[in-house]
Amino acid sequence: MSKFGVDLEVHIASLRRYARALLRNSADAEDLVQEALTRAVARADSFQAGTNLRAWLFTILHNIHVNQVRSKAARPQEVDVDDVESKLVSPPRQEERVELREMMRAVDELPEEQRKVLLLVALEGLKYDEVADMLGVPIGTVMSRLSRAREAVRAKLANEGGVTLRRVK
Amino acid sequence: MNAHQGMGRVTEDELHAYVDGQLDGNRRLAVERWLAEDPEAARRAEDYRAQATLLHEMFDTVLREPPSDRVQELSDRLKGRIAFNDNRPAWHARPLVRFAAAVMLVVAGAAGGWMGRGVDQQVVAPVAQQRQTLATFAQEATQAHRFYTSDERFQVELGADNQDELNGWLSKRMGRDVFGPDLGRVGYRLIGGRSLPTDLGAGAQYMYANDGNKRITLFVGAPQSGNQSNFSFTQNGDVATFYWVEGPLAYALAGRLSKEELLEIAKAVYQDVKAGPPRREAPAEQQQQQQPAQQQQQQQQDHPAGVQPISDTQKAKES
Repeated sequence: MSKFGVDLEVHIASLRRYARALLRNSADAEDLVQEALTRAVARADSFQAGTNLRAWLFTILHNIHVNQVRSKAARPQEVDVDDVESKLVSPPRQEERVELREMMRAVDELPEEQRKVLLLVALEGLKYDEVADMLGVPIGTVMSRLSRAREAVRAKLANEGGVTLRRVK
Repeated sequence: MNAHQGMGRVTEDELHAYVDGQLDGNRRLAVERWLAEDPEAARRAEDYRAQATLLHEMFDTVLREPPSDRVQELSDRLKGRIAFNDNRPAWHARPLVRFAAAVMLVVAGAAGGWMGRGVDQQVVAPVAQQRQTLATFAQEATQAHRFYTSDERFQVELGADNQDELNGWLSKRMGRDVFGPDLGRVGYRLIGGRSLPTDLGAGAQYMYANDGNKRITLFVGAPQSGNQSNFSFTQNGDVATFYWVEGPLAYALAGRLSKEELLEIAKAVYQDVKAGPPRREAPAEQQQQQQPAQQQQQQQQDHPAGVQPISDTQKAKES
């Protein structure tokens, strides 16, 4: 049972990373995670032991985010790429910085529904069916969003000299 | 998008599932066969993996930032609410270990096994359990690789300038003799290592780099039962991992390489581990040229007292 505590720590680290990738602003991301955890604590009784804790937490966070976006009727926040870049790996090598900047831009330009799926799968390693449950869409929709997101990013990186990607060995 | 159809009936979705480590073994083979014959598809898979790598480089930094006090407090409360009143002393509650646990366990869907295993579970189904334990071990090695290669500041805890010191320190941490094999022959040099806590005690991660600054890591752990096991392979996103048990230790070699490239290195690790701890007197350039047989002979002659080769009593069981 002590494993539970470790799992929880891990899932929360994962939630924080996803929130940051989604919102791009550390204060907003931490607020979103905080709100999700507040709700999770309030609803802890409804969590069934032995079921998927990570999916449960991600679903809560996702629902809160959807409501936030709806209630603010706000456009996705835009963060200057240079601001974000300063928080990246340091000291990055020159070619990595260019790559990362291009990747950041390519991901930013994705429709949000595709961006979410790409982040959940490629960054957080969620299973396709977990993503489908979380977003409330059929698994086929998850797959097509994933496919479109990956191809769009790929086309963008290729256009902007992303051929260096393949040489990173 | 339909170009590949008819070639083993691999679907578009399966290509993604392959990249994401969500395919079972049989379908993985089918996809690999397809990729071997279709360079365009292979390039796509490679690009998708590269995208995952970039995403991790961009956002794994968050894992190293402590959560806000409020988030930490809520996390502790949540643990209390649904932790089934676990009154045992929580080793994972210590800040340092907690940090490392997050590092080690941010694994896609990894449940149970290596780290979280309670002592009371260990008598059950040892063979099946070892298999599962090793798979989890490999996943964690993969994740540790991802994490510690994501930022040059955090690569190693102790450098390899003095390999005796590095090996001695990690051996002491693990309570077993371990050493970082010499991979000069396959173009990689040891740059250092770190100790990572697990539920079963410390594990050791050795990091290597080649001339192109490509990094690979070798994760060494001490499984409960040291039954021999052959090379197993797993792919998670862009990181490929070979893992096996040799003597009393489990090894997982991880890198952002193709399966074939990594296998060559895994073989070199295997052979060097079999040969025993390295000699320090000879310059590295010379060591790289030595044949394994010569190495072994030399080590038998002037073996440092008190350091046992890891696998002197085990017979190799390759392929």
